Amino acid sequence: MPRSAGPEPGAHAYLDVVDISKAFRGTTVMSGMDFRVARGELVSLLGPSGCGKTTLLRIIAGLTSADAGDVVLDGRAITKVPAHKRNISVVFQSYALFPHLTVAENLAFGLRARGMAKAQTGPQVADALALVRMSDFAERPVAALSGGQQQRVAVARALIVDPVLLLLDEPFSALDRKLRETMQVELKSLLRDRGMTAVFVTHDQEEAMGVSDRIAVMNAGRIEQFATPSDLYARPASAFVMDFVGLSSRLSGKVKVSEAGALRIETPYGEVRAKGALAPGAKVVVGVRPELIRREAGENTVRVALADAMILGAKTHLYGASTGDDRLLCELPGIQSGLERGQQVTFGWSVDDTLVYEVER
Amino acid sequence: MRRLEHIGLLALPGLTFLAVIFALPLLLLLLKSFQIDGQVSIAEYRLFFSDSYNLTVLWRTLRVALLTTLLALVIAYPTAIAMSRARGIWLSVFLVAMVLPMSVGVVVKAFAWSIIFRTRGVLNDMLMSLGITDAPIRMLFTESALIIGAANVFLPFMVLPIYAVLRQMDGRLPEAAASLGATPVFRFFHVTLPLSLPGVVAGCAFVFSLAVSMYVIPSLIVGERQQTLSMLTARSFLYLRNEALGATISSILLIIAISVVLGSSWLANRLGARS
Repeated sequence: MPRSAGPEPGAHAYLDVVDISKAFRGTTVMSGMDFRVARGELVSLLGPSGCGKTTLLRIIAGLTSADAGDVVLDGRAITKVPAHKRNISVVFQSYALFPHLTVAENLAFGLRARGMAKAQTGPQVADALALVRMSDFAERPVAALSGGQQQRVAVARALIVDPVLLLLDEPFSALDRKLRETMQVELKSLLRDRGMTAVFVTHDQEEAMGVSDRIAVMNAGRIEQFATPSDLYARPASAFVMDFVGLSSRLSGKVKVSEAGALRIETPYGEVRAKGALAPGAKVVVGVRPELIRREAGENTVRVALADAMILGAKTHLYGASTGDDRLLCELPGIQSGLERGQQVTFGWSVDDTLVYEVER
Repeated sequence: MRRLEHIGLLALPGLTFLAVIFALPLLLLLLKSFQIDGQVSIAEYRLFFSDSYNLTVLWRTLRVALLTTLLALVIAYPTAIAMSRARGIWLSVFLVAMVLPMSVGVVVKAFAWSIIFRTRGVLNDMLMSLGITDAPIRMLFTESALIIGAANVFLPFMVLPIYAVLRQMDGRLPEAAASLGATPVFRFFHVTLPLSLPGVVAGCAFVFSLAVSMYVIPSLIVGERQQTLSMLTARSFLYLRNEALGATISSILLIIAISVVLGSSWLANRLGARS
């Protein structure tokens, strides 16, 4: 995963969400939430439904009020500023285009809301339409557009007012898989060119990896890890992040021996060695990314019956027989033929590539 | 296609019922209004419009219907917005409050109003004891009382269509407008109001049609003193035994009703075509 050319994490915070708490009808959605984004950065809030990511986005937009905490934008506290005075544009999941207006009228809406006369909106609307390659559709009603076209209009409508921040709530989820990637590439370069600071909300980890400089993985109202896509994938901070971002083998085990930062862990597939400082007897989850597993003996070696070999074209996935929740997954490049279900295979990987997480009690 | 044709058969009982019980008698009435001694003639209409009293009644009927519609709209619109945002128990309370009064007969309501509005009624007693007025104010038997009473009876027919349209509206649209810098007032006039217009048109058509042809409410509230077209029709048939006049006035009412229905569906189509 190549490192994208965004600002470094920890740079001067442009958007600074400080100690936000929110409860709905007595149910806490988040408490003490901190979240910082640098100017020009493209950041994703990634997590399963109900993790609080959309609530956080709505609090930043001013569409939902926080119970406590502050939202600071470019050094100015905007916590009590109403949504229409924040100059923060939102692209909604369903796009929320105005059905009674044409494409051009939808684009002009933000300008007219700012007091511009209808007759003067023409040049800016034309520019925005050209930006998203929708110039031929200016006079169409929005209901006549395809999903991808509606998304382009929603993005153009959000950008035409020159917002200080762009928020996008699952902007690709209504598109089919092939179109989604095209639109991601398109949108990302559009935002980069304009130096736009943007926060995406998504539950799709591939989408988050594709569009973001950094990803905040959220779970149950907390940010579990906030890092670049490559860090997130290579060094997940928790078993949750490891499971949520990318595929992995996952073995449950118990620490048998722990000395000088080296662990020996008992798993249903045999002994596995890893680096770490955990007390003997600790219950752990062991993970390995599938492309780091080879079909040969390594520092860690497991022999297992082959449960399935899925030929996916550019790669082949080999599944070892599973025991309970545990699974072994090996990804090999290209088409691997001559493998039969039930045959014994050897999987090997290095100690350095072995991820270990203590199971919370 | 074949299947759809069969489904069309399901409308047959309703269509037959309407044709025999509604359309046919009205058609006969219409024909009667253009006939004098077996001859086709518009003499009855000429006669009707040449009488200034009839014109006063026609104008009053239209004015009362229009003002009733406006009053109902002004009260109903904010109510419909509140209802469209209500959830759970509050929504049930609203819906019951809308539907329950419809099950109370107009006669019962009218007599209940008279307790409040009559010369020695609750309202006048209160105004006089507060010193706001020295002598009792005449409230019953006035056009204002009629409009207020009619708006009350027909209110659900205005609220429910507007509520139905607002309820269907995507709640993200006002939010999207806000994030684009639109103030609450701008949002209302450029998003909520235009999107709710089909409901407003339907509600106005309902209430105006009901108000222009109402008979019981004016009979009870303003009595014989201020006639409306419906009362004039009834009087022509029942007391004057002048069937030709009755048929003529009925036909005028029918033409007004048909214009309202056609006009409103044309407007609704126009509004619909834009979205």
